[in-house]
Amino acid sequence: MANYKETFEDCEIEIKDDIHLFINGKLIDYQHDRAKNKFSSKYLPYTQYDSLLELARAIIQHTVEFSHVKE
Amino acid sequence: MAIRKDANTLTIAERTEFVTAIQALKAEGIYDQFVLRHANAIMSAIHRCPAFLPWHRRFIFDLERELQRVSGNSNLGIPYWNWPSGGANASMWDDNLLGGNGDAGGVVQTGPFRTGQWTVINSSGLPAGPLMRAFGQNGLPTLPTQTEIDQVMAVTPYDMPSWNINSNPSFRNQVEGWIGPNLHNRGHVWVGGSMLPMTSPNDPVFFMHHCMVDKIWHEWQIRFPNQGYLPANGGPFGQNLTDPMNNTPLGPIGSRPIDVLDSIALGIEYDDSVLQPQPSIPLIVVGAGPAQADIGTAGETDVFRFEIPSFGPYTMYTNGSSDTFMTLFGPNDPNIEVASDDDAGENFNSQITRNLSAGTYYLRIRLYSSSTTGNYAVAVRSADTSPSPTPIPIPELVVDGASISATISAANESDVYRFTITTDAIYTIQTSGTTDTFMSLHGPNSQVPEIASNDDEGVSFNALIRRQLLPGEYFVRVRHYSPIGTGSYTIRVTRG
Repeated sequence: MANYKETFEDCEIEIKDDIHLFINGKLIDYQHDRAKNKFSSKYLPYTQYDSLLELARAIIQHTVEFSHVKE
Repeated sequence: MAIRKDANTLTIAERTEFVTAIQALKAEGIYDQFVLRHANAIMSAIHRCPAFLPWHRRFIFDLERELQRVSGNSNLGIPYWNWPSGGANASMWDDNLLGGNGDAGGVVQTGPFRTGQWTVINSSGLPAGPLMRAFGQNGLPTLPTQTEIDQVMAVTPYDMPSWNINSNPSFRNQVEGWIGPNLHNRGHVWVGGSMLPMTSPNDPVFFMHHCMVDKIWHEWQIRFPNQGYLPANGGPFGQNLTDPMNNTPLGPIGSRPIDVLDSIALGIEYDDSVLQPQPSIPLIVVGAGPAQADIGTAGETDVFRFEIPSFGPYTMYTNGSSDTFMTLFGPNDPNIEVASDDDAGENFNSQITRNLSAGTYYLRIRLYSSSTTGNYAVAVRSADTSPSPTPIPIPELVVDGASISATISAANESDVYRFTITTDAIYTIQTSGTTDTFMSLHGPNSQVPEIASNDDEGVSFNALIRRQLLPGEYFVRVRHYSPIGTGSYTIRVTRG
């Protein structure tokens, strides 16, 4: 089991024990499609990702809860 | 009556009316309530599941009612985003309708929903910046083509276990985009930006997109009138035909899938209702040589039919180098699954051998992997070494006439009877004897629609159906409750 941490677009991604995903300290619920080995989340209902890290980055980029777009 | 038109064909006045109505709902706070209804629904209760289509049909129907209210136009329909002609240069993205793509940072700077004029909200309902778009920048650079839509339009049944993104074959799953050419999901991803998360209704194109999805489902329903919504029951709660759907309010129509199955009854009309004829299902001649076929597109499923003249053992099989998966349906109903197989044949070929009663059967063949293509050949042969069977006419029951005695003499055998009703009244069909029978009633005038079934309503373990019947010809199918059970019984039909 490995832990991983990085900062992406001003948000902190942390993966504990390869399975627990946190963004800015918030535990992110996700689904792992074992048949296709893809990851997805309730935040992004139309897409799947090849890894937990790719999923976390996409959530930060595309959800208004985590992105920091300024008018 | 809501008249839904291709967004690219709207006149300037129609564009102004639609945009003004959307802006009025935004000013009232109603539009944001729709965003929150979608955003705060349980994601897996409205996506990646059978209720995906009815939930969104009801959702856009409700917005359409609000648009009609604020515009004063009871015929105002949500325009549909006709994907094959709706690329980045289409007129629907002009400044008088949706505005265009986002800038280098993704911010929409043109049209009525540009930055400064339109603010999106997060799932808590708080302002969360401008509308964002990034056409074709998220890994899916093209929109669905008409050929791809036509391909999905040929898929049946509506859905099947496991009722999720792995369901195959499944019209719902292909429309949604988890298998096959990817229609719905691709539209969201192609627009990108605000169309990617659960708050995607923040972009008004969401409603045009789902109007197109709903149009495809509507046309598929008309094309396949015998393919109903599934699951009728036995699926996860919230997904069955009469379950209330998640986060759907009570309203002028119900909140269950069954309440929204008929678009025409909901007062919805499309501008180009050109309906495709139901594709003919290739016939496999029992005993003939294998027929060549191929899965030319990943996720595709081929359907074949064949006629069994009389009860006996038969083998359905594929050969070739592809890893095929076969599902058998019937008799006389393409929705009743009999058996399925992956690798019982040579190499990785599928093969089913079992007793079949007389009737029409359907084979659905796909490749085991939904991401590959390949050729195969398919055939059906009698597994009996005795001479070719001769078709036996369906025995006729006479109302209030004599009973017919029969026997379920082998595993999986079923017997079919017909009777004619001339007077609208209540009738009883029942078996008697010591065999545990199971009975289904079909009609009128067709062996396909099942109108009732019963296991033990009669004496002991006998089946009994009592029902009001309109004039017409009806069919009764009797089998043993156990797939391997045998035994004799008698059957009769009485009035009352």
